[in-house]
Amino acid sequence: MFSVKDLYYRYPKQDKDVINGISFDIKEGEIFGFLGPSGAGKSTTQKIMIKILEDFRGTISYNGKSITEFNDDFYEDIGVSFEMPIHFSKMTALENVQFFMKLYKRNADIETLMKRVGLWEDKDKMVGEFSKGMKIRLNIVRALLNEPTMLFLDEPTNGLDPTNAKILKDMIHEFKQQGGTVFITSHIMADIDQLCDRVAFIVHGEIKEIDSPRNLKIKYGKRSMTLEYKENNHTVTKEYPLDGIGQNKEFLELLQTKDIETLHTGETTLEDIFIKVTGVKLHDEK
Amino acid sequence: MKSRLVVLILGELNRLNKYNVFSISILVAFIWGTILFFLDEALLGSLLPFVLLIDATLMGVIYIGAVTHFEKTESTISTLLVTPIKNSELVLSKVIANILHNLFSATLIILVFIFLKDVDINLLLIYLALISSTAFFTIGGLCLSYYQKDFTTMLVNIMVISFVLLIPSALYLFGVLTSPAWDYILLINPIQAAQEIIMGAFSGYEYTYKYFVSLAYMIVGSILLYQFFALPKFQDYAVKQSGV
Ligand SMILES: Nc1ncnc2c1ncn2[C@@H]1O[C@H](COP(=O)(O)OP(=O)(O)O)[C@@H](O)[C@H]1O
Ligand SMILES: [Mg+2]
Repeated sequence: MFSVKDLYYRYPKQDKDVINGISFDIKEGEIFGFLGPSGAGKSTTQKIMIKILEDFRGTISYNGKSITEFNDDFYEDIGVSFEMPIHFSKMTALENVQFFMKLYKRNADIETLMKRVGLWEDKDKMVGEFSKGMKIRLNIVRALLNEPTMLFLDEPTNGLDPTNAKILKDMIHEFKQQGGTVFITSHIMADIDQLCDRVAFIVHGEIKEIDSPRNLKIKYGKRSMTLEYKENNHTVTKEYPLDGIGQNKEFLELLQTKDIETLHTGETTLEDIFIKVTGVKLHDEK
Repeated sequence: MKSRLVVLILGELNRLNKYNVFSISILVAFIWGTILFFLDEALLGSLLPFVLLIDATLMGVIYIGAVTHFEKTESTISTLLVTPIKNSELVLSKVIANILHNLFSATLIILVFIFLKDVDINLLLIYLALISSTAFFTIGGLCLSYYQKDFTTMLVNIMVISFVLLIPSALYLFGVLTSPAWDYILLINPIQAAQEIIMGAFSGYEYTYKYFVSLAYMIVGSILLYQFFALPKFQDYAVKQSGV
């Protein structure tokens, strides 16, 4: 659906590229995660893909046609949320939504949408009085106003409490279920680990790895079995390779003779894999 | 379906209203009414053109500067960039909304004058003058705001520019510059040109080429400023100010 090839980008009046030749495809109907530490180039990439930053090098095509050939009708099809939630603060939530709705040919049902994010009761409040979480939720409403076929979400979970983050992730999932395609960025792995069909690791404007979270875990994860058991009032921890575990005598004997406390496979988190692949920590030091 | 441009203009006007800009205009008209009440008959004749001139030029620039300033603090332009709206619609809606607002405040002031004292004014010509000069100064103000860090700096720059523009006019007025050619050269100053066409709406004005040159200046100047500056530079400006 979206295809990015050999993309380079340099901000005006800067002497260094911040995107250094990245390539990836987003397939129709998938949730594609763009993961990397702050400053990696995630927002820049999104802004190029949504035709805000123009002087890029490389090719980007949408449904087989270069995005530079699209006019402003391009935006009838996509929904965008920026890193910062942005609204007219002196207007109510409903006024904000209604203003933007009139700019599109296609409109979603806003009552359903605003109820879904729990903002319907506050629709007549000034957005300036909204909490950050409410502004982020309103941002999502706006991104979905025109019933887009593709969503671009820049760090949508950033600053959301777990309850709101759950609502948001469920909505993204529903959007996909209805056939939508999603590009989503984050610097917090755990946030979108379960959500994404595929993820790209981006560091210093370069993509280090692209695959499904599951494949990445198989490829880089430690395949092991860890068990803990009680012995002389101590907890002992042992680890065995997962391959051929059924024939592992020592492991089997422990299972039969000891008082087992815990037993689990060595799940490596996406975050561990990110560090392993890129050699870079995800969280910014700020 | 209402045209997008109308939606945008109404949105701009609605926002001007929320920022109390309309209330300020009403207050200004009220203040003029009070001043008028105590004013000498002799001064009245030149006061109205002067007030309207300030309204169409300085206020036009300041209001658009204020609007873009509010917009900058809210970074709302970036969200408009990702809707199907064309840049031309965005720029035009701002210019038109600003002209409408200025006409509103000018009308209030004119009404106050007509109501309190008798003034002889050609309404058709005054609106032609107000629309064309407000358009010029609004578009000029918009271009200026593309390069301003903040509103205060912009205000200072406007003061400096107006002052510099006023020097030759003042020198001419006080007889330092005497050649009749200055009559026309001074029209390069857009404030002077605006004054010329505003004066044209009042009785007793003598029509010369100056009037038509000034009118053409405001209209053609507006179009050129829009076409070659305000519109092409808009994307860069919008992207720069949306950059988080
Ligand atoms: N407007 C800008 N001008 C110049 N450099 C910028 C601008 N915006 C971002 N950058 C630089 O580009 C790099 C990538 O930034 P960004 O795409 O925002 O990263 P991320 O979204 O992954 O945190 C950073 O080094 C940042 O400093
Ligand atoms: Mg970012």
